[in-house]
Amino acid sequence: MPHVIDMVDKILADLKKVGGVEACAAATRDGLLIRALMQQEQFAESFAAMSATMLGAAETATSELGKGIPNRVIVESDHGRLIAVGAGPKALLMVLVNSNTGLGLILLELEKSAAKLKEIMI
Amino acid sequence: MIETGIPKLDDFLGGGVPKGKSLVYYIQPGVEGEVFGMQTIFNTLKCNGTGVFIVSSTSPDTTRGQFKEFGWDIDMFKDRLFFVDAYNPLIGAPSNEKYVVLNPDNIENFNKVITDVIKELPPSTIVFGSLSTIMDLCGEKETIEAVKNWNKLAILYNHIIVYNFTAWPYSQETLDLLKKEMFNAVISIGGIAERVLFGQYFGILKSDWAKETKKSMLFRVLRPGGIKLFIPKILVTGPFDAGKSTFVHALSTRAISVDRLGTTIALDHGHVEYKGFSADVFGTPSQERFDPIIKLISGESMGIFLVVDSTNPTDFVRAKQMLEITKSYGLPFVVVANKQDLPGAMTPEDIKMQFNLPNDVPIVPASAKDKKGVFEAFEVLINKITGGI
Repeated sequence: MPHVIDMVDKILADLKKVGGVEACAAATRDGLLIRALMQQEQFAESFAAMSATMLGAAETATSELGKGIPNRVIVESDHGRLIAVGAGPKALLMVLVNSNTGLGLILLELEKSAAKLKEIMI
Repeated sequence: MIETGIPKLDDFLGGGVPKGKSLVYYIQPGVEGEVFGMQTIFNTLKCNGTGVFIVSSTSPDTTRGQFKEFGWDIDMFKDRLFFVDAYNPLIGAPSNEKYVVLNPDNIENFNKVITDVIKELPPSTIVFGSLSTIMDLCGEKETIEAVKNWNKLAILYNHIIVYNFTAWPYSQETLDLLKKEMFNAVISIGGIAERVLFGQYFGILKSDWAKETKKSMLFRVLRPGGIKLFIPKILVTGPFDAGKSTFVHALSTRAISVDRLGTTIALDHGHVEYKGFSADVFGTPSQERFDPIIKLISGESMGIFLVVDSTNPTDFVRAKQMLEITKSYGLPFVVVANKQDLPGAMTPEDIKMQFNLPNDVPIVPASAKDKKGVFEAFEVLINKITGGI
């Protein structure tokens, strides 16, 4: 019986293989880092907390306006993009993508990974 | 004494405006100042007084509509509210009012009607809707002479006489006279501008019956509601699980929180309407990993609630640290000793000892989940922010 952390590692490793993904991480909804695959590990904790803040604030903003829960939050800068998606009520998943890759495949893979993460976090 | 009905202004004026006194609301152009005269007259009516409203820039009926927009039902006081119509004749429309200035651009005519009003009516609150309009029509010097005369008559007949004056670029001489000499009290109403006006304030420039206060108050004008004192940002911070979100919700008329798995991850935001005050409160997260966000949302606060769990003194260190993170030193703050309903809760005195707080920091016992102590804490903080009475 594999440990939950090992399963999260597998999900992140698969996600990291997608072209254009520079880093990815899983966190709890309240912003605690579960696991991260990124070069600058020292930033992983605040990356997790701030992603939870962004997603949470975005969800509250849209649902207060009667527009439902957003599917994802995408933040774009000149140097890259950050995407955060919910993975069930307990977890969320975020990836850092370089600035010159199309998002189509990445969003698709992210959805699949989020669905998996949701299942194993229950 | 007649109260103006404008929150805090009556306190600043030592209770209100004494009979026989004159007061000018000296309004910076672009600021919603006319409501000050209207709120003053409505408050007189509410307190069983008689009110006279001299309208120069809108018709009496439009003005009646404006009162209603503020939620002030003047129909109830029909027999005690008189309009002096100095507008309809100007545009050639008929007037149904008892008092009409037939030639509003003739100061003699104006003078006669106002003198009649002052002599005929019982001691009233006489409000000029727009002194600047009269000045534009009749001339600066002429109007100043007339106003001096009306102020004297008001003393003789025990009226209170109030002017809304918008400080357009008149001659410096005129503006100085208005600000310094002609009235017993001058309330300045201005705006904080950065390309657009984003804040409005009032303060006492002069008052010959009350101790002078240098304090200014921010306000906003609500329809309905009138003038509400406005505190744009109050921060609610404190260690984990102290009850900050509960406190924000207990205090607010409406509030939202961004929380997951039982802890605030972004912020709480609440809007408070209480005793003539309108304030926005922002609750911070507390766990260390959110420190960047705490810094981000704590800027430009006017006061702080530091919420602590009275049963958990080990957290006081973090509480002090949060005051540092939010750069709160120097700002007025109140410690909310929450969870007083739990067994083993420390008393405010004990907390003061443990915390090593200076003596002038108020500690208010509270139980936010039962809404106990929250409004007491609000009043204490507001008093600190506004400098007390």
